Amino acid sequence: MKQLIAKRLSLVVFVLFGVTLLTFLLSHVIPGDPAQMMVGQRANEETLREVRHQLGLDQPIWVQYFTYLKGLLAGDFGLSIRTQKPVIDDLLTFFPATFELVFFAFLLALIVGIPIGILSAVRKDTGWDHAGRIFSIAGVSTPVFWSGLVGILLCYKILGILPSGGRLDLNVAAPTKITGLYVLDSILTGNWAALKNSLWHLILPTIVLSYAQLAVISRQVRASMLEVLGQEYIRTALANGISGAVLLFRYALRNALIPTVTVVGLSFGSLLGGAVVTETIFGWPGMGKYVVDSIAFLDFPAIMGFTFIIAVGYVVINLLVDLTYYLLNPQIRQ
Amino acid sequence: MKRKWLSLALGAILSMSVSLAACSNSAPTQAPQAEPAKPAEQPAPSAAQKTGSDTLVVAITSDQGTLDPAVTMDNSAWKITYPTYERLVEYDGASTEAKPGLAREWSVSPDGLQWTFQLEEGHTFADGTPVTAEAVKFTFDRILKIKKGPSEVYSVIKEVKVESPTKVTFVLTNNFPPFLSTLAANYGGIVNPKVKEKEQNGDLGQGFLAGNTMGSGPYQLSEYKKGEYFKLTVNPHYKKQPAIKTVYFKITPDPTAQRLQLEQGEVDIAEGIPVEQLKSLKDSAQGIELIQKPSLFVDYVYINTSKGNPALQNPKVRQALSYAVDYEGLTDAVQEGYATQMRGPIPQGLWGHDDNAFQYKHDVEKAKALLAEAGVSNLTLDLLYSDNKPWWETEALSLQAFFAEIGVKVNLKKIAYATSREMIDKGEFDLCLGVWSPDFGDPYMFMNYWFDSKNFGLAGNRAFYKNDKVDSLIRRAATVNDQAERTKLYQEAQKIVIEEAPYIYLYQKDFLLPVSKNLKGFVYNPMLEGIYNVQDMSK
Repeated sequence: MKQLIAKRLSLVVFVLFGVTLLTFLLSHVIPGDPAQMMVGQRANEETLREVRHQLGLDQPIWVQYFTYLKGLLAGDFGLSIRTQKPVIDDLLTFFPATFELVFFAFLLALIVGIPIGILSAVRKDTGWDHAGRIFSIAGVSTPVFWSGLVGILLCYKILGILPSGGRLDLNVAAPTKITGLYVLDSILTGNWAALKNSLWHLILPTIVLSYAQLAVISRQVRASMLEVLGQEYIRTALANGISGAVLLFRYALRNALIPTVTVVGLSFGSLLGGAVVTETIFGWPGMGKYVVDSIAFLDFPAIMGFTFIIAVGYVVINLLVDLTYYLLNPQIRQ
Repeated sequence: MKRKWLSLALGAILSMSVSLAACSNSAPTQAPQAEPAKPAEQPAPSAAQKTGSDTLVVAITSDQGTLDPAVTMDNSAWKITYPTYERLVEYDGASTEAKPGLAREWSVSPDGLQWTFQLEEGHTFADGTPVTAEAVKFTFDRILKIKKGPSEVYSVIKEVKVESPTKVTFVLTNNFPPFLSTLAANYGGIVNPKVKEKEQNGDLGQGFLAGNTMGSGPYQLSEYKKGEYFKLTVNPHYKKQPAIKTVYFKITPDPTAQRLQLEQGEVDIAEGIPVEQLKSLKDSAQGIELIQKPSLFVDYVYINTSKGNPALQNPKVRQALSYAVDYEGLTDAVQEGYATQMRGPIPQGLWGHDDNAFQYKHDVEKAKALLAEAGVSNLTLDLLYSDNKPWWETEALSLQAFFAEIGVKVNLKKIAYATSREMIDKGEFDLCLGVWSPDFGDPYMFMNYWFDSKNFGLAGNRAFYKNDKVDSLIRRAATVNDQAERTKLYQEAQKIVIEEAPYIYLYQKDFLLPVSKNLKGFVYNPMLEGIYNVQDMSK
């Protein structure tokens, strides 16, 4: 186990190096000049040169890259061109918001998706199976910008029971920052008003985002359950008089979950940087919106910092996926 | 078969119950959030947090970059900083002329090189420090040292001299009549010299002022939650305390969410609702008023007169393109009619505008004849535009159709905003869509930027147009102090540039803003596009 972790971690360095190099090259080949974005609509050559110099953009690209890498090794992500503030501050603000949303959305998707998958597999080709499939396929085929707006219209405008967006009401103070996850922070600091309010704000975006992910999970669970249920050891178990919940959960589900874990892990990773639409509709101050704004401004340090964090996120999730395999499948342990 | 349908129905019920359960579960948690100050107005529990009578909530579409007045050239950041600083001169009400601000009075030497300002006493920064001539000098020295966008505007300043604690003189390198108006723009905001204490690594406080304010305006930025909101509260030392005590600029990127929040009274002003939704909003929603005023924001086409397709070097071809456009049809299609066709470069509402100037009108025959005269046939042009303005897609398509009528084929080239700016700067286009709005109330902003051959590229002359007569007229106009004389010079130059058509002068956009009917005192000033006179508002 320890060996596995150590081996994986040593590879991380290479992965991250590759990611920074590629992103740096890609973002610098795009024509466009952040100095021009910064000096405004109208600027003369002299001012532009000065600003380029201040930003270090007049250096050869490899010098720029190594300067960046040197800073990165010291934990310095540089200054954002657009906000003129350390990129790390921005990332530390936006990442927890996205993480919180995606985490709750996945939790909900798992809670609803796994039972639907199991039900569909056990009652294959019955009405339950079809209903479950239609329900989850509808989720994946409904664009988030539509379901989000319908949700806001219904729960905010017509029923008036949920807020239209944001993480907290304007008149509710945010909990003291520990992790940046409002739910966790308000529990840790005993700030129950903030806890209630942040949960209240989470409901709608969580439902919308998780509904879109539901099909991925339930379809995967159904497929692997069907495969597992057809295997001989299940028949053997049945012959030995094992049935019902024990057979289903201890014998079948455990094996069926192995491929599911991979799929879930990867889509969790992709959502960290890709929940842009949900974030935009619900005014959720997350990474997606931040990076879209940064790309439009050619804010290199911010783009680099974002990619770096997402790469780290992917690596960690992959590691967790592998460890889960390890726990679920005794064969790997040997 | 029957069973299948039954299960389908069950599935549908299941899905609805899941979402409804989620909604109704939340009801108890919501109750304590009802605003305690106004319980009577909320008979039934409502998700909408109605704003209080001393609170203004403005929905804005995106987070802002730096707020440092010596750095930002982005007027969407100005709406936050403008009420937190004071300037030597200010725009008063709807007037585009500079009125006394921090300066009670001023005088200019006959050669236009020395501007002396007498400060009014009793102005105080939000931390209690009085505003002095030293602070004025500090502000402009800082801008020039930082050397970013605003320093270019003030590059005419040779020296700022403190004559006494309430008297300050600007020495200029050359006569520059628009100087006074530049002082009323956002970058003219006087900064508290104590920002020096916040300096890090010699950044002159840029890091601190990026997310804080240090001015003497009626408000100060008291909280900034990245990606969520900016909160302004009153400057306790400001002489005339405003009725609105708290202002939130709430970041709500989605236009539909903004609209719903405005309808529910959760926000008082919504900035991001597209023009096609405004009409229906105006008709359907009660309690919402649509403010409509002519603005100085113009939309036009750059015709590349020297680096693009060689046919465009012929004025006749450019005139043909100007005749090909159905201006009324265009403003209807693109701006729902909330726009006025331009009459030359200087827009209506700014001095120097000529009501009698020639205006192109839709005339296909004339356009074809001009092309024939120029000996041009089978012309193919590239039209560059970016995603910067949502209406440009429709506009580009409309122009493509208009030009097809006169036999000119147009290829549409949509490019990312940042990239398009570089291509404009280098002149890599035939035709390109653009917008322009003046930073200060002087025709200089249009005539000298757009036509001076020294300003090729992004700096302003995006048509790469050179005419010696025009150059000499506008350069003279920029150094004469007499406004009547300047008007004459600009109008003469205007005649030439309308005739030679280096741009297609499309339209002046109306300023449109949906606001809550409770809100009183908002005055639109064309010089302060997107900036609110919060200190004069009440509810």
